[in-house]
Amino acid sequence: MEVEIIFKIAAIGILTAVVSQILKNSGKEDISTLATLAGVVIVLIMVINLIADLFDTIRTIFNF
Amino acid sequence: MDSLYKIIGIALITVVATLILKPVRPDFAVFISVVGGVIILFMLAGYLTDIFEVFNQIFNYTNVNSSLYKIIFKIIGVGYLVEFTASLCSDTGNNSLGDKVLLGGKIIILVMALPIVTSILEIVMELLPS
Repeated sequence: MEVEIIFKIAAIGILTAVVSQILKNSGKEDISTLATLAGVVIVLIMVINLIADLFDTIRTIFNF
Repeated sequence: MDSLYKIIGIALITVVATLILKPVRPDFAVFISVVGGVIILFMLAGYLTDIFEVFNQIFNYTNVNSSLYKIIFKIIGVGYLVEFTASLCSDTGNNSLGDKVLLGGKIIILVMALPIVTSILEIVMELLPS
């Protein structure tokens, strides 16, 4: 059920790479930087949610 | 045994995805390796609960004060968390930060273990003839 998140992140990475490449080639360097930043932030939020879940699970297991 | 294959599969998928993404977006490759590690740890969490239930039963048979073995569980938890974070740090190239996390974990474990040491000392003082 959670393997999909790996593929999701990979897809977002390839997508942002393509988008930023297209934007850079059409001369919009600033928007390309913004698109890259947006991709990084989206993935970061997903990763942080997952890590928070893991820490919660560990906290309940070891009853901190 | 079934989940062993799952873990191996997840690790291989993560490695392949990281290899594909590294030349295109190196930062996303780091995210993918982190997520792969977290998912594997999630799968192991269920086994950990089973193990600790058994340990709880064993400890209940002995008449040791329950606050003492809770400290041991907490120390094991601190060890896992610190290990995970330190390996994350060294994966992303921050080796020195990982070492500092390990040092912090060691110190916190020492602080948590102090009540056990004091209780041993109390027992020794009771045994000594006054």
